[in-house]
Amino acid sequence: MAIATIQEVVFGEDLPTFEPDTSLAITKQFAALVGWGGARFSDHEAARKEGLAGAMVPGILNQGYLVAMIHHWAPDAEIKAIDTVFRAPVIADEKHTISGVVTVVNEEDGQVEIDLTVSNEKGETRVFGTATVQLPLA
Amino acid sequence: MSLAHRRPLWQFCPAHCIQLFLHFVGVLVLLDLHTHSIKSDDGRAKVENYCQWIRSKNLPIDGFVLTEHRQFDDESDYSALAEKFDLCILKASEVETEYGHVLVYGVTPGLQAEFDFGSISLSLARVIEASNAHGAIAVPCHPGRPRVGMFAHTDELGVPEGVEIVEIYNGGSRDQEDQIAIDNASQLGYRGIGGSDSHIVSHVGRCATRFDVEIKSIDDLVSALKAGQFEAVNLKSGN
Repeated sequence: MAIATIQEVVFGEDLPTFEPDTSLAITKQFAALVGWGGARFSDHEAARKEGLAGAMVPGILNQGYLVAMIHHWAPDAEIKAIDTVFRAPVIADEKHTISGVVTVVNEEDGQVEIDLTVSNEKGETRVFGTATVQLPLA
Repeated sequence: MSLAHRRPLWQFCPAHCIQLFLHFVGVLVLLDLHTHSIKSDDGRAKVENYCQWIRSKNLPIDGFVLTEHRQFDDESDYSALAEKFDLCILKASEVETEYGHVLVYGVTPGLQAEFDFGSISLSLARVIEASNAHGAIAVPCHPGRPRVGMFAHTDELGVPEGVEIVEIYNGGSRDQEDQIAIDNASQLGYRGIGGSDSHIVSHVGRCATRFDVEIKSIDDLVSALKAGQFEAVNLKSGN
């Protein structure tokens, strides 16, 4: 169920998990759109030659997925800040899951803080971060 | 989940029952020995929120140690939070050496004068020597990790002198990093600790260290570590 107001948010609640499209086709298309040419975003073999485990999902696409997950949970939310720490590459064509959990609820000003984690199938954290989100008061 | 007290009571052997008893009478203490707050450049967690999280989620830990990157946080006083939430909150450091990252427990003003905590190229031998001289203890963390873990450097630099304890369970470990740490620690006769290496609130308590003595201060912690009275615990889901 989508969250409409701050009163509906419970401290510690998990946001619905989100499986981003990490396919190489999307990764390649996005990298080209934002002007990030280069084999590391478009070609597994070439990325491996650069020492990576495979082609990577661009960081700003990951951030976009994090924002999308928050808006799936609370469509009227205004994301005041989103802050990510990239611990390891998100490899294209590998299944990843984005999870979020509410760690602060401020009913007076309508703001919540959310912990965000991008994990691979082994449960390893690839990206983590936090978001500050403004929700309608009523 | 490897903590004994998460299992149904009827599954406990006598040894577990004794552990349970000791825990409930306050002798067994479980501490997350590796956490970061917003004081660290990549930390995103406020200490009060760690406390709220631990209590609201009924995490089985009794406290945590803040090991901020490349510094010792002299200015913060968490005693009021510790009292409010009935948690043990201690302060330490995570420094950077040629062998990777190293936790230092028992930091004193004297130790801070011995070397530059902000340096990214400290000598591990110097950190260990100075720590020992000032009653502290140095513990290489995530030693199985490429680049920033000790065992990534032992082939090239040799096995360092003076290491007695390493972190064998790290909440942020990937691939076989913990296993590499466990295998090498076993081979070299090191004892192991556990810590979550949390940088956000919801990652606290993923790994911890169990002590069979009371820990109320950093001196208690250093004494227990030096005495070897502890055991690493992996609390990550699925363990």
